[in-house]
Amino acid sequence: MSFEGKYNAKSPAVKRLMREAQELHEATEEYCAYPLEDNLFEWHFTVHGPPSTDFEGGIYHGRILLPPEYPMKPPNIILLTPNGRFEINKKICLSISGHHPETWQPSWSIRTALLALIAFMPTPGNGTIGSLDYSTEERQQLAKRSLKWQCDSCGKIAELLSKDAAKKPITEEEQHMLDTIALKAEEVSSTENSFASNTENITENGLRQRGVQVLAANNQTQEQLEVIVNPQVETMSSSNDLFWTILIASLLSGIILLVLRRLFLV
Amino acid sequence: MEDKRSPQWSSENTDVNQDELILQQQRRIEREISESIALVGEKESLISLELEYAKDEVYLAKTKVLGQKYSYIRRTRPDGNCFFRAFSYAYLERLIDNKEEYEKFRELALKSKDNLVALGFPQFTVEDFHDTFMEVIDKVGGDSEASRLELHKLFNEQGYSDYVVVYLRLITSGQLQREADFYQHFIEGDRTISEFCHQEVEPMYKESDHIHIIAMSTALGTGVRVRYMDRGAGTEVTAHDFPEGALPTVHLLYRPGHYDILYP
Repeated sequence: MSFEGKYNAKSPAVKRLMREAQELHEATEEYCAYPLEDNLFEWHFTVHGPPSTDFEGGIYHGRILLPPEYPMKPPNIILLTPNGRFEINKKICLSISGHHPETWQPSWSIRTALLALIAFMPTPGNGTIGSLDYSTEERQQLAKRSLKWQCDSCGKIAELLSKDAAKKPITEEEQHMLDTIALKAEEVSSTENSFASNTENITENGLRQRGVQVLAANNQTQEQLEVIVNPQVETMSSSNDLFWTILIASLLSGIILLVLRRLFLV
Repeated sequence: MEDKRSPQWSSENTDVNQDELILQQQRRIEREISESIALVGEKESLISLELEYAKDEVYLAKTKVLGQKYSYIRRTRPDGNCFFRAFSYAYLERLIDNKEEYEKFRELALKSKDNLVALGFPQFTVEDFHDTFMEVIDKVGGDSEASRLELHKLFNEQGYSDYVVVYLRLITSGQLQREADFYQHFIEGDRTISEFCHQEVEPMYKESDHIHIIAMSTALGTGVRVRYMDRGAGTEVTAHDFPEGALPTVHLLYRPGHYDILYP
């Protein structure tokens, strides 16, 4: 890394980011992230779609923007690869959720943000700003296409992740964070820009037009805004996938049963 | 498509939207404050406080009473971190003239990192804050006059200043969690200690209450005297010592929502 001359190496934020760059230096099979050559406050990342979800097999690329106050203020994430869960080219940030007023902690890091992103992908978008609720088929199709996706500065993203490096275990603290955090788009006035580029992208992909309408509706109802539901995020480590899938399925069927009973037995 | 209406007119919105609007307004206020008030100001005569309250009888009377015990005030930026910032500045300033206590504190600070990691805080980032915290302590350990200047400089550099605040917040959170059984009684609502720490102690810009002060001063093995000045009856400026009965090493003035440093 050649930042030494460019930044004040004594500034805690610069020191911290250099350390994080060092820590994330080696790609794992789950994620990789690094600062741009000429800007320590902008990073690019690549994450693997979580297994046993709509995003399985997909590889997604994006930018991380660090505010000058980092780590006192949270990083912003921008996805670049179409994925069907988050709008692309739109800032999403680790933010408070409606149910647990949890805020960014300076002791979290870029790794934390990436883990949160991965964990948050399979959760329902629920019309939250910056969220998309594409169908499983559409997401799987996007996941397949993502392997061919290229970044202007990083090249073919499919080659960025490691094939064999085991993922670092998630600590207790991180698990707690994943249980309580919510990701949502920042309400920026540049909504229209990203809206436009999104429209372009979706039509380009020839996938569908409906997403655009959803988006437009989203923009108009900005006032009503989102209720951020805070699902207990299932961080699926491959060993207990099955357990969670079964648990969720049985819970869901239980709820459906209760609803049906209520509807028909009254 | 951007909604330009001011927050107070949007009362028909849902709660979540209110949150967002409040946050926006908060950011605006933060910006204004940071442009006009130093993180830690110069030492001023207490007379400046009297001038500030020239037209406010209640506060003026209390300021005069305060003037019998204190001669100087040092203001801090009201950004929600003022307790931690004011305390750490005043305490390090005191240690500059008290080498024995300085060494003791340095020792305690050195060991504090392992305690936090043992409690489950992420090692990687705790180390980062701890390193800078120690750097600040080491930089004010030399000759008195130079150390004073260095302290003032470091505390007005956002990076260093905020890192010290973060680390004290972590120490406070660590103390609360270590003695969770005791502190649980002081938590309102049905939050657990660790939830409370995640929501009210560790995030920056969250204001400090009694429980923060008790936990922090206990963890650092030092005493804080807070003088409370508000619109309440009488002319007394009530003193509270934290932890109870401890000899105060740092004196702070509390006015609703804000802490400044007091000097005899």
